[in-house]
Amino acid sequence: MINCIFSTLIFFFQEAGTESNGSVMVQSVKHPDLSKFLVVGALLFIIGVAGVLTRRNIIVIFMSIELILNAANLNFIAMSRYLQSTGNANALAGQIFAVFVIVVAAAEAAIGLGIVIALYRNKETIWVDEIDLLKW
Amino acid sequence: MPLSSYESLFFWIFAIAAIFAGLLTVMARNAVHSALFLISSLVSVAALFVLSGAEFIAGVQILVYVGGVMVLFLFVIMLVNVGAEESGREEIFNNQRQVTFSLIFCFLLVLGILYAVNKGSAVLLKDSLLNAEQLTEQQSEENQRLKSSATGTSRITKQTERVANSLYRYASLPFEIASILLLVAIVGSVMLARTLRQEASADDVDPDLLKDEATRDPELLKLEAASQE
Repeated sequence: MINCIFSTLIFFFQEAGTESNGSVMVQSVKHPDLSKFLVVGALLFIIGVAGVLTRRNIIVIFMSIELILNAANLNFIAMSRYLQSTGNANALAGQIFAVFVIVVAAAEAAIGLGIVIALYRNKETIWVDEIDLLKW
Repeated sequence: MPLSSYESLFFWIFAIAAIFAGLLTVMARNAVHSALFLISSLVSVAALFVLSGAEFIAGVQILVYVGGVMVLFLFVIMLVNVGAEESGREEIFNNQRQVTFSLIFCFLLVLGILYAVNKGSAVLLKDSLLNAEQLTEQQSEENQRLKSSATGTSRITKQTERVANSLYRYASLPFEIASILLLVAIVGSVMLARTLRQEASADDVDPDLLKDEATRDPELLKLEAASQE
């Protein structure tokens, strides 16, 4: 595992080294391609994961889940755009899948917030570390 | 298919806005502020959708997320009490050890994902460059045939029409299943959010539990009796 991290770091430094001298970096900043969209999606996903893992407020945890689903959507759309640029016939499948992700996110928010209201009525708390009815 | 120069300027603006708003969503002390930052993050991501040619998804994103889901979130935030959080009496994050370990985990995850994206997209881009020129010619030809918009600065794409076509052609069964899922979600959230009185007036409470609760709230028995007539 340490080896894996090390090789990742070397990879980044190599990238930085090759980009600093040439116009490759300028080019990629001026014309962002698929990988930039994927990186934005990855960062949003990580922020969402960090929110789910660290926050105590159950409503903010739900919002972080929305952020995660949104990052997945961004990846779908970026891939759909890439497939269109290669002339793939099924390129629009990514956009259709994004619609279904949005549907599931809406259903999840409705059910989840219903649970939060029922929980608040019975337990009078929204802090996840105080919701320990199943713990013994 | 890289973005053109103006598009890339907007890409960077909205990408940075989305990430910063996402960070502030997680870090804001007040839950209402979190919701507002999440809204700005979602709008920025919708702008990124427009930049990648998915106008329909961008519209759906703003209508459903910002117009529907976030309003629901704000309602629930205002139903439950957040006063303690605002005044700084309550800690908003988990305890130190959990936060440390989850941040280490997230750091490793971000390294792994960025490595995979870098490596994977290099291969993908090599493939796409092969027939890029031919395709851009084809697409500019198609562009010429599209109707121009009222301002005359751009052309009206047929992207949404194509999405609708393939949605009903290839995904009509999942579409119906999604409608049933939404129906279940509506009924389920109404069932979950009912109070005990509402449950009693629908004759939906366990008789033993009702007897217990009636000592606290004698109204319940009356509602129960009324529902059985």
